Amino acid sequence: MDIRAQVSMVFHLDKCIGCHTCSVACKNTWTDRPGAEYMWWNNVETKPGTGFPTLWEDQEHYKGGWKLNEKSRKLELRSQGKVDAFLKLFYNPNQPGLEDYYEPWTYKYADLFDAPEGDDQPTAIPVSQITGEPVEIKAGPNWDDDLSGSTIYAENDINLDELSEDEREQLFEIERVSMMYLPRICNHCANPSCVAACPSGAIYKRGEDGIVLINQDVCKGWRACVSACPYKKIYYNWKTGKSEKCILCYPKLETGQPPNCFQSCVGRIRYLGVLLFDADRVPDAMTVPDHALVESQRSVILDPFDPHIIELARANGISDEFIYAAQRSPVYKYVMKWKIALPLHVEYRTMPMLFYVPPLLPVMGKLDNGTYDNEVDGFFASLDKSRLPIKYLARLFSAGNEEILESVIKKLMAVRYYKRSMEIEDLDLVLISRMMREGNVTPQEAEEIYALTALPTVDERFVLPPLQREEAMSSPNLDPETCRGCSGFGCHDAPARGA
Amino acid sequence: MIDSVLFIALPYLAIFVCVFGSIYRIRRQPITYSSLSSQFLENQGLLWGSVPWHIGILLILLGHFIAFLMPSLWQGAMSHAVVLAGVESLGLGLAIVCTVGLVVLGVRRITSARIQAVTSGMDLIVLLLLLAQVGLGLATAVMYRSGALWCSATTTPYVWSIVSFHPDMSFVQDMPVIIKGHIVGAWLLILLTPFSRLIHMFAVPFQYLFRPPQQVVWTDPRRQEAAVETLSEEESRRHFLKASVGISSGLLLLGIGVTDKLARFFFGPRLSQKEEAELMQFRLDRLKLTAEQKQLELERQESPYILVGELADLSPDEGKYFIDYAMLPAMAFKGEDGLPLLLSAKCTHLGCTVGNKVDDKGKILCPCHLSYFDIKSGEPNPNSPAKLPLPHIGWVLMDTRGNVLVSRTASGQTKGSADQAALAGARVYIAKSLAEETT
Repeated sequence: MDIRAQVSMVFHLDKCIGCHTCSVACKNTWTDRPGAEYMWWNNVETKPGTGFPTLWEDQEHYKGGWKLNEKSRKLELRSQGKVDAFLKLFYNPNQPGLEDYYEPWTYKYADLFDAPEGDDQPTAIPVSQITGEPVEIKAGPNWDDDLSGSTIYAENDINLDELSEDEREQLFEIERVSMMYLPRICNHCANPSCVAACPSGAIYKRGEDGIVLINQDVCKGWRACVSACPYKKIYYNWKTGKSEKCILCYPKLETGQPPNCFQSCVGRIRYLGVLLFDADRVPDAMTVPDHALVESQRSVILDPFDPHIIELARANGISDEFIYAAQRSPVYKYVMKWKIALPLHVEYRTMPMLFYVPPLLPVMGKLDNGTYDNEVDGFFASLDKSRLPIKYLARLFSAGNEEILESVIKKLMAVRYYKRSMEIEDLDLVLISRMMREGNVTPQEAEEIYALTALPTVDERFVLPPLQREEAMSSPNLDPETCRGCSGFGCHDAPARGA
Repeated sequence: MIDSVLFIALPYLAIFVCVFGSIYRIRRQPITYSSLSSQFLENQGLLWGSVPWHIGILLILLGHFIAFLMPSLWQGAMSHAVVLAGVESLGLGLAIVCTVGLVVLGVRRITSARIQAVTSGMDLIVLLLLLAQVGLGLATAVMYRSGALWCSATTTPYVWSIVSFHPDMSFVQDMPVIIKGHIVGAWLLILLTPFSRLIHMFAVPFQYLFRPPQQVVWTDPRRQEAAVETLSEEESRRHFLKASVGISSGLLLLGIGVTDKLARFFFGPRLSQKEEAELMQFRLDRLKLTAEQKQLELERQESPYILVGELADLSPDEGKYFIDYAMLPAMAFKGEDGLPLLLSAKCTHLGCTVGNKVDDKGKILCPCHLSYFDIKSGEPNPNSPAKLPLPHIGWVLMDTRGNVLVSRTASGQTKGSADQAALAGARVYIAKSLAEETT
């Protein structure tokens, strides 16, 4: 047993209002450099939708993540394996191009001031941030926002492939289309396929906190990781010729602050905390059939209150402060104690360490004669005719296992109706208690879920472990401030490329 | 002078700069140690440019390296006409594939505004230089056929002379301009490697084949050491495994070889008595033949005169080959004075037989390494690989009845004279007395 700690995350989708504040906070800090303009380490997608980059979930095309070899019961990279990487050395057919993202642009603001006097208003035309030439803007990083008043984004979501015609029609009915927001950052997976696929060995997982980073000095720009990451959360910097990714703001974490996207979140949907997991069991746990993957991942995460586990963790060099942080971790509560947070697309078998509480509103609510209603009658029956089909959510969050997703939704609904009956007292208590039994939740637990969901303080949302700053300082190449705005991270010389 | 700069100074400069410049760049500026990929910005052109270019150039370079590293093996293989034709046409085909790839890459780089945003001056220089280099190689393959064969006596020993620190440019000095250009181009590319994207040649990720899939790095130096220790333990285990596989497969091959030899010795096919007798007879006949030849040779060397030919048969433009007393090739011309002109045909450079056609400057050519010799003086051209003159040979002119008319020693002293009428039917001989005089 190799017990390691992982700084992991929960995004509560019911609270996300899709405001993109997180994306902007991240962009302003990390990716406002030449070559990184198109990168959105944090982005928010509207689901159903095609996402960013377009159709990133289509692994038939991008060939990211792991696949299970049916014969040997071992994990294999879907592409960029040892032989495959050499075959694709000179040209990689699975790599997304600029067209799959968008051409970054800015405006010629100076024209507003420099234009000669005339009859017309001066305008600032858009110019490409790559070539500097005028561009016709055809797409942006979030042009599918709120589905953009078009059905084209939603209809092309590949998670809808298994839905019947009726279900699709129900979903896309004009003016009744239902959607949710999906904020995404790097999952800092426990079984990362980008690390396994890097030909240069430049990507690594930090032992102390599980953050996945790219060493810019070692990276040779083969871009295998860009293809291999099924979440497309590694971006190629066309200016420096290196790949870059979310660093979970580790310089902030090391000084006891939450990452920018967490700190700036308007809806306070983000939770950060430590999970203890058994690193030895990770690859094996990901070799079970799709429908068992969620359970299998839970089995790898360890109970930080178990004295035996604590002892082993200490023996493995995890400090008492870290274990204490793991015990107070909001992530542990959501993922393991209440079991209402699920990993995104666990069928890619990378064991993502970012968990989502599925949204309740598009499931419960319905429009009746133009008025919005969430009726209590036939409480769980509404699951069958939910506006966002359970099947669709299961494709996103439980590798198609609808049972798991239903149990989560039932629990969330039970909590909601329990609190409503407590506050407004308009519901029959017998009905409520039946719901709570079916939702598998006790009143005490419901109160806890309610408290952490609706009323958490900053300290409850972000339980930061004390990362050993002194130790971090003594290791080389960890001086992000030096290079801010010029090159990326972890290198002291600005990369004079082009040679 | 310019030749010594291009073929001795430039190679050493290029190799020195390439080795130390690359090491410096890889160690001190690791972030620049790769090629700046532009597939992200432009996809389709790269497919039709990068793939043919890389595959073509890798196979062509492989051919160059085998020819250089295993010259005897290479020469042996190339002596089969079919293999030579195959290698020649394969090389030509690959060179065309390379050229197509390069042209596509060049057009893509020039026409795409996005690619121009990441293009440096050095990129263009390298692209042009590569284009010129492949073009020159293509021209060589077309104009000077069988390069796979002639390289064994020219470029291969030249490169060996460079890397073994005994530079000898005479191997390539007199080659046509196109081939010389190809050689200089190669040195220039090596010279530019540390300053250009060519450095990515050294970034081939072979280590990927051997590393474990996951990598964990500890910020805590103590944890890192422990992790590295386990890793190096694993590594040494892997090395041990690889070494034992290598050694045991080597032993297996050795065992198979030895067993095979032993088996053949004891149980292999035997000759019947008749076959054995035939074999012995054959060997005996061959020995007799050799003895006879040796006898004839000795008799020849004992005879006072050896006939070269009729004086009338000699020509000032084309030498007549004959064998002299030392059993070495020589040739006879008619001199300007109407008398014979005999000189050795053994090139003083490496002993090839010199050609017998006299060019308009009165010179004959050794085809092996392009040494030109003046027939009157025997002197080679000043920049030829051969440095010593071809020695003259003394002769005797006799009429049909065996009367000596005129004779001349190797050093040129003439004895006797004869009028045209007497010379009409005269024959040219070399004399044992004159041959001994020279030795």
